[in-house]
Amino acid sequence: MATSLIVPKRPFLTLPFLLPSWSDSLSLGTRRYQSSYRRTKQRLRVKPDASFGSSQQVGDHIIHNPPSSAPSVYHTPNKFLPSNDARKAMRTQASAGYNATELPNVHKVEAERKYHLNPSDIEEIRKLRLADPMMWSRHKLAKRFECSPLFIAMVCEASAEKKQIQKQVLEAVQSRWGPKRRMAREDRQLRRAAWGRDE
Amino acid sequence: MKRLQLQRWSSTVLSPRARTSNRLHQHLCSSSLRHQSTVAAVQESTPELKYRLNNAHKRSANLQYPSPPVNAALDSAKLASLHARLYLPSRLPLQTLARTLVDASADSNVDFNNESLATLGHDLLTYYTSEHLLCTYPRLPLSVVFAAMYAYVGPKTLAAMSKEWGVDLATLPGGEVDPGYLQFKRVPPGTVLDAETEQNGKRKNWRKTVTSKVVYDDEFGDPIKGSSNSSVGVPAELARATSVRALMGAIYLHAGRPAAKLFFEQHFLSRSLNISQLFNFSQPARDLTRLCARENFEKPVAKIISETGRLSRHPVFVVGIFSGQDKLGEGAGASLLEARERAALAALKGWYLYSPLNVRVPSSMEEEGASPWNPAHVDLGEVIS
Repeated sequence: MATSLIVPKRPFLTLPFLLPSWSDSLSLGTRRYQSSYRRTKQRLRVKPDASFGSSQQVGDHIIHNPPSSAPSVYHTPNKFLPSNDARKAMRTQASAGYNATELPNVHKVEAERKYHLNPSDIEEIRKLRLADPMMWSRHKLAKRFECSPLFIAMVCEASAEKKQIQKQVLEAVQSRWGPKRRMAREDRQLRRAAWGRDE
Repeated sequence: MKRLQLQRWSSTVLSPRARTSNRLHQHLCSSSLRHQSTVAAVQESTPELKYRLNNAHKRSANLQYPSPPVNAALDSAKLASLHARLYLPSRLPLQTLARTLVDASADSNVDFNNESLATLGHDLLTYYTSEHLLCTYPRLPLSVVFAAMYAYVGPKTLAAMSKEWGVDLATLPGGEVDPGYLQFKRVPPGTVLDAETEQNGKRKNWRKTVTSKVVYDDEFGDPIKGSSNSSVGVPAELARATSVRALMGAIYLHAGRPAAKLFFEQHFLSRSLNISQLFNFSQPARDLTRLCARENFEKPVAKIISETGRLSRHPVFVVGIFSGQDKLGEGAGASLLEARERAALAALKGWYLYSPLNVRVPSSMEEEGASPWNPAHVDLGEVIS
């Protein structure tokens, strides 16, 4: 019986704005004991960061602690400044926190270009691709002549019949797509186009 | 409330030098014709009673004119408030302000419509805008310059400004209408506005390059349209744009070059335009490679600066494009390819959006006591791929 009469304390203590204003000074929540003071001080003790600046520094100094965000495009890179621009000499190499040579590449390192194909080879590439387009695709030619598929595309073009066949193959594949896949593909193209507009 | 003596106030403003008739309207008019200035009429009607009696019959008498007569400008509260609201120079009389609001479709008489003022104002606006763009961002590609020009002084912008200024449209133009309304003949509903472009579409198909736009097209890179048949009517947007241009021309004529330049800076240049959003690249990485080859920089290489959650559903990669030790651009994306494209784009924008220090425009030499001119920055221009 006694337990049922106890008023739950929690709502009144944690929600002091529910109490009338005269009871503010009496409520327990506003009183501060040593234990809570120590806790408050502990919260304020933040790990010192390099950007805070050391307290030993004499004289006025600027604390620069920018938030992490993409750099502004209006801030021209030092390399792009013309030689007569005063900012070129004024800017020092800011410590970015990394060394550019140590960073990993996005793509695999390209093989050294050999420049070993002569005009007769290119003639042969063109002849092979025209003679049997199904057999001699770009990748097969690239493998045989030890160059990149991009180079094959630069020196020759597929015949009109091959292009027509490829178009029909693509249409046949696309005709089997359902609405979900089709929409997902279209969305991907739209997103890709949005990269160029920086959206 | 006590009535403002607008007529007397404006006649003091109208100095003989600032009168339109002296400069634009030189041939003699007989008394039966409309006059462009009413200074003489103001001096005649001194008694208040006589003026009020005249005023009562004025509206019906004005029905014979296609646009409001010049002396009506002094009675219009709308015009006076527009003059005050825009903080126009006091040397610009209300009569000329009224004339800038009469479109050629409302009044075909070139002495009373705003066509000549608009031609002058358009030239001034495009000159000031283009010199500002070319001197502030000397490396901008031409297509971006066209887009920025259109954003600053294109017809849509001018129409929006006219709306913001509180210029209202007259439903029908006529002599009895308050001259504070923009008077133009509306296009009848159902009219196809771009019928002309459909006809010439085939012929102009081959002309798509930016260079051909420089040679053949107008300052916004749009094909020049032939003189529109104003008897059919004009769209409200075009009429509004013409009136804003005419106002610019009127300020130039009455108050001079410094006032026109100040008006341009306060009303046009002060509008914020983020030029970095006008770019659209299809192959940023390739363009950047060509740029670096042209400028004899090291080949740009994409490197991962940081990444998180590569194997998760939402990875984030931060990729920087480096030329040697220097970082050219940085971009973040959900895939390595996207981050690299965005980084290349940021690098290209960093190149194109270069702005020299202490930008000066050629027209600043017109000011008195201007320091000697230093040539503006010019370099090889955009990357052609």
